Amino acid sequence: MRSYKHRLFLAGLALLGVLGGLFAYTQQQKPLDPYEEAMRQRQMYLETFGVLPGELYAEEGKELFFRKGPSGKTLEECDFGLGKGKLQGAYAVLPKYFPDSRRVEDLESRVYTCMQTVQGFKPAQIKRDEVKAITTYIASFSSKAKMQVVPKHPQELALYNLGRELWYHRAGARDMSCAVCHDQYAGQRVRLSPVRSPKQGLGSEWPAYRFEADKLYTMEDRIAFCYESIAIPAPAFYSEPYIALTLYMLAEATKAGKSFEELPFFTR
Amino acid sequence: MKKAAFALLLLGLLALALAQRYFGDQELEQIKTAGKAYAEVFINQRPDQALCSLHKNRLPADLLPKFLEEQRAQIKYPQSGKLMGDWRKGGAIFNNLQRANCFSCHYGSPVHLGGDVGPSLEKYGLKRGQSEAIQRYTYEVIYNAWAYFPCTVMYRFGAQGLLTPEEIADVVAYLLDPESDFNTKPAVGSR
Ligand code: HEC
Ligand code: HEC
Repeated sequence: MRSYKHRLFLAGLALLGVLGGLFAYTQQQKPLDPYEEAMRQRQMYLETFGVLPGELYAEEGKELFFRKGPSGKTLEECDFGLGKGKLQGAYAVLPKYFPDSRRVEDLESRVYTCMQTVQGFKPAQIKRDEVKAITTYIASFSSKAKMQVVPKHPQELALYNLGRELWYHRAGARDMSCAVCHDQYAGQRVRLSPVRSPKQGLGSEWPAYRFEADKLYTMEDRIAFCYESIAIPAPAFYSEPYIALTLYMLAEATKAGKSFEELPFFTR
Repeated sequence: MKKAAFALLLLGLLALALAQRYFGDQELEQIKTAGKAYAEVFINQRPDQALCSLHKNRLPADLLPKFLEEQRAQIKYPQSGKLMGDWRKGGAIFNNLQRANCFSCHYGSPVHLGGDVGPSLEKYGLKRGQSEAIQRYTYEVIYNAWAYFPCTVMYRFGAQGLLTPEEIADVVAYLLDPESDFNTKPAVGSR
């Protein structure tokens, strides 16, 4: 019931967003700066509803975080990087190696792991939307936090290298790579969108509500979106390539001293 | 004697394979966790893609002649032998985001505001003319850009099967034909 109402509310918000967006578009002769447009839309949501869509996802994630799994445990029993029950700043140190799963994990795959190992859910019972909401909730404790992703463990170093190689690899029928757009053309625009490099803080905005899509996007969703735009099938969620690419991007951004935006962010 | 030559050849091939390998075995296993469709893209990496990736898109001079030769060898021509087809059909391809997406990188289209990733093609046919050499150059760049600009970002439309030789000839006509909208109408964004 609650969640149904929630959906309706979101749908209403979305409709308003689209109409508002269209209107703004036809009223303006010069194309709007995408960042200014996002800030304008954000303001409109706040003034109309007093809440941002991303906050609703975080709220839903909070309920799921404190929901008991088949084992009777909540996600309070999971170590998200800084120890059990410590959420403040945890997102900013991920991806990192976890001794219990013996694997390097980003926040999304960590949530997915703990829902199984701590809470006792079977993989088939775990809904992607729930993982996204919980991820949003936990990431909200790292709003504006300084990134602290420094690979040290051998597995972290290996995955960082894989991430860097995937980053530079020209692949698929269009011979594209992340680097072609995000390094070679960093600071320029690809059809209005400003493209950033890892050193410029690429990845600092996720999870975010994208008003153009009316959906919440996590980092994995955002990487999947770029893969699809270059005609390479997106990797399966929680798989190594996402974690490797995230580790590479955030480690580079960490070296450049970058911080996260307000999380969940509001963007186009 | 023959045996030694064969062994040498094998060694040479092995060295080549190693030199062009980009991902290690363990990395390929990690890539496979992403599922079949994704993994295949990387397992079936083309040696030329691997070479460009390895050298961050700037090939050392000694590798260039062979690379260019291999890229040239991939170019095929329309059965009819005509390198300029139907400019109207070519325009539909040039200006379609899903098909060739040329306008996203090149300025000059009378239909869409062009990007500036590649050089401006504004009034290309009026500036370059329609000589046999220009037709051939334009066709070949579109068919396989890496034969002229190694590792460039422009898609290899023919070599990667994104467009057929006939479709490429249509695009060539769109750029070159003096009657084509591309040469008679102003580019979006020009004044
Ligand atoms: C064809 C060019 C292109 C390629 C190739 C590409 N991207 Fe993007 N990427 C973009 C554009 C355009 C945006 C949107 C920028 C905006 O709207 O703010 C974007 C956005 C992103 C973002 C979020 C933006 C931010 O500032 O946080 C991430 C993360 C990202 N890309 C990662 C990748 C990764 C990883 C790859 C390789 C798998 C990749 N991209 C390949 C063009 C590209
Ligand atoms: C992803 C961006 C991109 C796309 C898409 C693209 N190009 Fe290009 N194109 C380039 C770049 C960059 C160059 C310059 C090559 C270099 O210096 O690396 C170029 C060069 C050219 C040239 C040679 C220009 C000259 O002055 O000699 C022609 C002709 C051309 N492109 C036509 C096309 C056509 C036709 C299409 C669509 C079928 C297309 N391009 C799609 C990026 C692109």
